[in-house]
Amino acid sequence: MSGMDEAWSVTRLARTIKRRVEDEFPAVWVKGELVGVKRYPSGHWYFGLRDAEAKVDCTMWKFAAARLKGPLEEGTEVFVLGTPNVWEERTSLRFNVTQVLPASGVGAQAQAVEQIKQRLLVDGLLDPARKRPLPPYATRIAVVTSIAGAAVRDIITVAARRWPGVELLVVNSAVQGDGAPQELVDALAIVSRLERIDCCIIGRGGGSKEDLAAFNDEALCRAIASCPVPVISAVGHEVDVTLADLVADVRAATPSQAAEFALPDRMAVQRLLSELGSRLFGMTLATVGEQQLRLERTRDRMTAALTTRLRTVERRLLNVHGRLAPALTRHVTRPREKLLRLEATLAPAMRRQVTRRQADTARLAAQLDALSPVAVLGRGFAVPLGDDQRVLRTTADFTVGRHFNLRVADGTVEARVEESP
Amino acid sequence: MTDAPTLGSDLKRLEEIVRRLEEQDLDLEAALALFEEGVARLREAQKKLGETEARVLQVVQESSGELRTAPLDG
Repeated sequence: MSGMDEAWSVTRLARTIKRRVEDEFPAVWVKGELVGVKRYPSGHWYFGLRDAEAKVDCTMWKFAAARLKGPLEEGTEVFVLGTPNVWEERTSLRFNVTQVLPASGVGAQAQAVEQIKQRLLVDGLLDPARKRPLPPYATRIAVVTSIAGAAVRDIITVAARRWPGVELLVVNSAVQGDGAPQELVDALAIVSRLERIDCCIIGRGGGSKEDLAAFNDEALCRAIASCPVPVISAVGHEVDVTLADLVADVRAATPSQAAEFALPDRMAVQRLLSELGSRLFGMTLATVGEQQLRLERTRDRMTAALTTRLRTVERRLLNVHGRLAPALTRHVTRPREKLLRLEATLAPAMRRQVTRRQADTARLAAQLDALSPVAVLGRGFAVPLGDDQRVLRTTADFTVGRHFNLRVADGTVEARVEESP
Repeated sequence: MTDAPTLGSDLKRLEEIVRRLEEQDLDLEAALALFEEGVARLREAQKKLGETEARVLQVVQESSGELRTAPLDG
């Protein structure tokens, strides 16, 4: 505390207050109700801004007021942008307003959203624990959005790039306007009837706060929460957060990002596959390789053993072959030659022998011929022969009346004994 | 409903096969059987990965309540 001899002048006090208030005080938006609105002929506006407990006097100079879309009206709720200003002469404070926006609608809507949020919170729908993870390799994805909007194009483009085999099932719905919340709820009901859906993207492109309002609808939020597959919300841009975003299992900042979240990156999966493939082959090769090495060693030893055996047999064979030729000469060739030689000498000898024998035979035949009874008959002798072809040699053989044959040189004559000799 | 192997299940099984081959002392026959299955899964996954035709369908609910899908013109 200062002493009396150091007492400030009023001016100093006023200037200090002014400086303290105005220096480095940022321009702020203030929300309040307009009271005591007065427009002066000069074009400046004077009014108070109040809420339940306090009131601040405000001024709005002519140049700023020129940008107002309509006259300020007593009792309306507004947002004002301004800086505090101290009037030295009276050390009175005025809030120097440069911009006024009606809070009507905006305020009420925000409040309503806040109330819905509280109800969702109470029902546990905003609980992070109930958020479902996205399937790692989705291939069939439902998309709830307007087919006329930009969001669906963005999603298709990104999805096709990341995962060319993807199947997108688009359920058309209005995404803004009064009917939008119900259409979105109906679209989600259709999604819940689709089969083999991996996850669902619901959203729309950027727009004004009012455009995005459908995504703050309570019924929609509850429909998202009860969707049978994980839901990715993608509403507007990065800065826009709706209740649908809070309820969804995953919030994407944009529709493109939703597609990125929903689908694996083909390249990344390709890399994973390649890695798994080389590990698979590597490991198996290691296992198989060991066995193969053993097999190869066995094979080599077998080959070597076989070769040795073959060589031995071959050597023996060559040896035998070498001895076979002379043996052949000795046992076959020479006897054959000998045989031929013998044959050569044998043939004439044989012929001589045969000729001699033939001559002998002729002579003997002639001798034999001379001795033959047949030859004797030729000289005029006859031979009596009994019926039994016996020669009748004695008179006793010739009984009277006996028939007999008389053999002569050229035949037989029948005869009979007439008289007894 | 029979579940055809999805890319996810293929990858999961492949990872398991590789891990078993890496971690366990398997006899040759078991190792080869795993290897064969691994190769089949690998092929299957590659095939799925190779699918190039993104399909975009629009789902419409008929007045009867039936759902109908048709290619979305794009």
